[in-house]
Amino acid sequence: MSTIALTQILLNGLALGAAYALIALGFVIVLNAVGAVNFAQGELVMAGGFAAIALAPLIGEATALPGLLLLPLVMGLMGLVGAGFAWIAYFPVRKRHQVAVFVSTIAAGLVLQHLANALFGAAPRAGPPLIAGAPMTIGSLSISLQQLAVMACAAALISGTGLFLGRTQTGRHMRAVAQDSEMAAAIGIHPKRMITLSFALAIALAGAAGLLLSNQFFVSPNDGGLFMLKAYIAVTIGGWGRLDGAVIGAMLIGIFETLVAALTSYLVAEALLYALLLVMLVFRPSGLLPERARARV
Amino acid sequence: MFLKTAAVALTALMAISLTAKAETIPVLVPITGFLSLEGTSQRNGAVLAIERYGKDLDLEPEVTDTGTSPEGAVTALRRALEGEPSAAVASMLGTQMLAMLPIAGRAGVPLLTVSGTAKITEIGIPWVFRFFPGDSVVKVAQARYAIEELGAKRPALLHQTTAYGQSGAEHLRRIMNDLGAPLVFEEAIDVSVKDMLPALTRMQEAKPDLILLHLHSGSTALVIRQARDHNIALPILAGSAMHQPTTAALLDPKQLAGVCAESASSPISEPEGPVEDFTSEYRARFGTEPDAFSLAQYDGAAMMIAARNSGARTAEEVRDWLASNSYDGLAMTYKSDGEGNMAHDAVIVCYDGKSAVPAIKRRYENVSGVK
Repeated sequence: MSTIALTQILLNGLALGAAYALIALGFVIVLNAVGAVNFAQGELVMAGGFAAIALAPLIGEATALPGLLLLPLVMGLMGLVGAGFAWIAYFPVRKRHQVAVFVSTIAAGLVLQHLANALFGAAPRAGPPLIAGAPMTIGSLSISLQQLAVMACAAALISGTGLFLGRTQTGRHMRAVAQDSEMAAAIGIHPKRMITLSFALAIALAGAAGLLLSNQFFVSPNDGGLFMLKAYIAVTIGGWGRLDGAVIGAMLIGIFETLVAALTSYLVAEALLYALLLVMLVFRPSGLLPERARARV
Repeated sequence: MFLKTAAVALTALMAISLTAKAETIPVLVPITGFLSLEGTSQRNGAVLAIERYGKDLDLEPEVTDTGTSPEGAVTALRRALEGEPSAAVASMLGTQMLAMLPIAGRAGVPLLTVSGTAKITEIGIPWVFRFFPGDSVVKVAQARYAIEELGAKRPALLHQTTAYGQSGAEHLRRIMNDLGAPLVFEEAIDVSVKDMLPALTRMQEAKPDLILLHLHSGSTALVIRQARDHNIALPILAGSAMHQPTTAALLDPKQLAGVCAESASSPISEPEGPVEDFTSEYRARFGTEPDAFSLAQYDGAAMMIAARNSGARTAEEVRDWLASNSYDGLAMTYKSDGEGNMAHDAVIVCYDGKSAVPAIKRRYENVSGVK
C-alpha cells in the first residue's frame, strides 16, 4: 500500500475515532455518575443526527458553515433530552436492582429508535455538512474538509469536557457526587442536580457525535446498536471509568478498524477487533491504562 | 313470538355480517431494520394493489412488520396462517423467505414476494412466486451492460455479506467470467460498515476500470459518496438499490454522474402511461416516490387478485392459477418459469449528474427465455 493511501486511511481512522471518542466519553460520564451503563447511548447518537436534520432548516443553506452553526443548538437540545432522560429512565428505578437501570435504558433506547422511525421514516438520511467546500488536495492526497472539521470539533469538545469537569466548580461538584453522593450531599451539593447534569452533558456529547457523523455516514433509526457497541469496546480497551481511557480506546478502535480493513478486509478487521476485546477481557480487564481506585468522572 | 322474531333477525344479521366479512391478505414485510426502506416500498405496493383491485372481493391488507430476523418472519407467518388466507405477501429478505417457505409449503399457502435471492425458488417448494427478477436475470443485464455498453475489462465488485449480497456476487462473478471480463477485485461488506474508504483504497490498487456494486441502499450511497469525495471517478454500475429515489436523495446529483444501476423497472423514469398513473396514485397515497420493488409487489398482488377474479378461491387454486397463467403487469409481463420466477425482464438506468431522476438506458427483455 502506498504512503499516500496509508495517510488517507489514517486520516479517516482519526476522524472516525474522534467521533467514537465523543460517544465513549458520554458513556463513561454516565457510568461514573450513577455506576450504571446507559445502553441507550447509541440511540442518543442517532437522535443527535436526526436533531441536526430537523434543525438544519433554521440555519438555511445560505451560510457557509451550516453544520458548525448547528452544533450548539443540537447539543443544547440533546442536553435537555439528557436531563429528561435522567428523570424518566434513571431516577424512578435507581433504588431497585441495578438490572432495572440497564433494562430501563435499553427500553428508552428502543422508544427513541421507534420514535425516529415514526417521525423521520426508515430510510437513511444525510445530515447537514459541517463545513462547505470541495475536498482539499495536497499532491495525491485528498483530504475531505468534513473529516478535518469532525476532528477539530471532537478535539475541542473533548478538551472542553475535560476542562469543565476538572476546572469548574460545577464539574468538581459532579465529580464529588460521582465519588460519594452521600458525602457530597452532606457538604451541601445536590446529588440529583449533579446526576441530571451528568446525563445532560453525556447526552449532549452523544448528540454532537450524531451531528458530526450524520453527513459523512448518514443516519437511520437502526444505527444505535453499532455506536453503542463501539463505545462499549472503546471503554473496555481504555479502562472502565477513565475519561482519557475512553478517548484513547475510541481513537485506537477508529484507526485499527480502518487500517486493518484496508490491509486485509472488513471481515478480518471485525473478527480481529472482537478477538482483541476478548484478549483484553481475559488478560487486562481493567483496560490499557492503569486502573484508578473508585475513580469516577 | 317476539323471541322467535328476534332470533330470526339476529340470525339474519349474523349471516349478513359473516358474508360481508372481508378477507385479510397478510402483508409480512420488514418495515424496521436494515431493510426497512425496501420493505416499506414492498408494503406500499401490496397495499395499493389490494386497496385498488381487491374491493369487489372484499380483500383487505393486514400489514405485519417482520423485522429482519428469520424468527420474526416465521412468527408473523404462523400468526397470519391462523386466518387461513388464500395467499400472503411475504418478505423480500432472502433469509426470512428461506425460513418462511417450509411453513407456507406445509400449510399450502402461496407466498408472493419481490426477494432477489436466487435460492428461494431453487429449494423445490412450489408455493413461492417471485415478482422481481432474480439474480439470474438482473445480474445478466448488469454484466452485459458493463461489458457491452461501458466497455469494462477489469471490473471490481463490492457486495454485501447478506444472503442477497452473496447470491448476487456469485452470479456476477460467474457471468463476468463467462463474458471474458473476470473480476480483478472483490470485497464483502457488512451492512453495519459505514467507512468505505478501506475497501475503496484496496480496490484502487487493483486498477479496475469499473465498479460493480451489489449492496443495499445505505451502503450503495455510502460507497458512491465516499468514492466521489476522494476523487475516484470510475464509472459505477450498481444493483437495484441505487434506482430507489430514497437512495439517490442521499447523494448530490453531481456525485451521481457516471452512475448506472440495474432494476426491474423505474416508475419515476416513465413520464406517461399507466406507470405514470401508478406513480401519481402512489405519491398521493404515501407521500413518497415509488420504486421498482413497490411496482413489482403491486403487480404481484394484482396478479393474485386476477387469479381470484378468474374463479380461484382456495389457496391451492390461487397457486395453480399463478403457476400456469401469464399476467400483463405495469412493469412487465409475468409468467412462471415452473419454479415460481415470474419476472424475466430487466432495465438499466443511468443518472446524468444533473438530476436525481435516472433515465432508462436499456431494456433487457425475456432474459430467462420464459414467455
